[in-house]
Amino acid sequence: MGTPLTARIIEEHANAFGALPPAGPTAARRRTALEALTASGLPTSRDENWKYANLRPLERLRFIPAPAAQPLTPTDLPAAIPGFARYVFVDGAFAPALSAALHATAAAVTPLAAAPDAGRAPAAMPAQTPAPGASADERFARLNEAFATDGAAIRVAAHHEPVRLELVFVASADALTGASYPRVELRLDSQAQLLLIERHVSAGPHASFVNSAVTVDLGCGARLHHYRLQELAARAIVFDTLCAVVGRDACYRLYGISSGAQSARSTLAVRLAGERADLTLAVVALGDRQQVQDTYARVEHAAPRARTEQVFRGISAGRARVAFNGKIVVGKDAPGTDSRQSLRGLLAGPEAELDVRPQLEIYTDEVRCSHGATAGKLDESMLFYLLSRGLEPEVAQRLLKWAFLEDVVARIEVAELRRQIEERLALQVHEPLASAESA
Amino acid sequence: MTSRTPLLAINDLHVTVEGKQILNGLTLQVGAGEVHAIMGPNGSGKSTLAHVLAGRPGYQITAGTVSYEGRDLLALAPEERARQGVFLGFQYPVEIPGVNNVYLLKAAVNAVRKQRGLPEVDAFEFLGLVREKMRLMHIEDSFLSRGVNEGFSGGEKKRNEVLQMLVLEPRLAILDETDSGLDIDALKVVAAGVNSLRAPERACVLVTHYQRLLEYVVPDIVHVLVRGRIAKRGDRTLALELERRGYDWVTGEAA
Repeated sequence: MGTPLTARIIEEHANAFGALPPAGPTAARRRTALEALTASGLPTSRDENWKYANLRPLERLRFIPAPAAQPLTPTDLPAAIPGFARYVFVDGAFAPALSAALHATAAAVTPLAAAPDAGRAPAAMPAQTPAPGASADERFARLNEAFATDGAAIRVAAHHEPVRLELVFVASADALTGASYPRVELRLDSQAQLLLIERHVSAGPHASFVNSAVTVDLGCGARLHHYRLQELAARAIVFDTLCAVVGRDACYRLYGISSGAQSARSTLAVRLAGERADLTLAVVALGDRQQVQDTYARVEHAAPRARTEQVFRGISAGRARVAFNGKIVVGKDAPGTDSRQSLRGLLAGPEAELDVRPQLEIYTDEVRCSHGATAGKLDESMLFYLLSRGLEPEVAQRLLKWAFLEDVVARIEVAELRRQIEERLALQVHEPLASAESA
Repeated sequence: MTSRTPLLAINDLHVTVEGKQILNGLTLQVGAGEVHAIMGPNGSGKSTLAHVLAGRPGYQITAGTVSYEGRDLLALAPEERARQGVFLGFQYPVEIPGVNNVYLLKAAVNAVRKQRGLPEVDAFEFLGLVREKMRLMHIEDSFLSRGVNEGFSGGEKKRNEVLQMLVLEPRLAILDETDSGLDIDALKVVAAGVNSLRAPERACVLVTHYQRLLEYVVPDIVHVLVRGRIAKRGDRTLALELERRGYDWVTGEAA
């Protein structure tokens, strides 16, 4: 499609290609990705599943990978989580000096730049079989694949203890100089176990452009707890695509906490491909000021007796827009599906916007699917109860917002990580109130 | 009754809810050290009175005054009333998942202490005090870390209201049908809690539909509320007479 945007992407790609080392995805893969992207174009706001995302910044930012960054020190990074090996990527490129490598023998983490096709099993990319309804939207993942120069290929083998791994993606460049392309290709072998923390943070206040792509492939009986934290600086723009395939008897717990950036869009596509696959997909999103926090989550049941629990808790304050579009598709080969959706949004300001949308498509019988969605203000009777016990209105409101999020956050089993998240959220639920007070 | 200023003085109070007249010239005085019972048929305005005293939004006060410790109670925000020592025990305590009980208790106590210019309570001593009151109210230890009233039975919620009252030690406690829905054992526990707080400087207003609670918490004065005003008052024998003759006896007279 000959839109000015895709024309510019092709041009920037052609210019960059000569300068790029033959690292990251191989040249052939880049070309395939670019061709697919050229054919489909990037999403526009006319696209049903993209109408809440902020796509305007794409017009002015640059797509070439950011130039080599200024060296960072460990103090630029979030506090380490005890027991977790850490791999740090700055503007998409592996930074060994900041990393503390894994000693476990059950897992291998290979920077893609060092070994372009390392750890890449043929199954690492989700199967492209056409699904009922709209297929997974991977257009931004294609953009990542066309431009990424590095990333993490992770392969985990079966072991009696779960492997503990933290990936920290730091954005430090301004969008005018280039983009950051975090990339993760993750494969868990049959019965493998992994606790994975994936953080996206900024070094400095730059208006960075981050486009991350993550693929997850869980073999039979594999278990993955995946904590994704988006804590980018206030002017950052981030697009994120996660595609996962969950095998027979495998269990995937996916927690996303999105509180940073000026504009954030996360596209999550999970395919329950094996019998009795078990998925929890929980997202917490906080928007304030003029932030946009948009999540599109699509879960496809493609095998019998799989289970999904989809949870969303979002707070929209200031003039922010917080959106969650949660779709569950139960295919014709998925009898015995058990899916639950609990999507709740909280409007914390007269000018804030909130869009919570559950969608369910069922193409088979014998399923149990429930969904609940609410979008509203703080509960007046809860508020009065707290006031009647002497709490200041500001404190009472903050406490209720906190309680609203705690529903999801309390489930995070890594104590130090939960503490860090709670600390950040406590600050965030405080801020909108403070600014409302001064207004 | 002493000649001093009463702790609570309600004078000719008129209240409407969504345009409907609920309280219709209610006058009532409660002195320090006293326990008053407010009885009355359904819809007579008992709960409205309790809520108006606690400052719940949604009630229009069209006439009358309420003074507490000699000051205009109606001019105070709900949280200010609580910090001045007014406590409402809810008829239907609210569940607040995600806010744990001990956190709320501590925040409430510290709000009162701040008002009095005292430092925040020592966490360790405070926990000891709460545990002691919990034993009195037959509440088990796991309660502390649970969400406020989350998944509590009706009886547990009422005992939790009284526990909060015991920890906060209010000057004026208003208990809105705290006895409703309780079995006899729970009723005795709740009554013991209320009695343990009786003191010369405190007062308690028990809003109730039945006289059962009053066998265990003996009131100094019983008021009968009919169509938004006090239709009859007397000592505890009035409650017994109401039990025998039914509210029709009073509502007939008031008409």
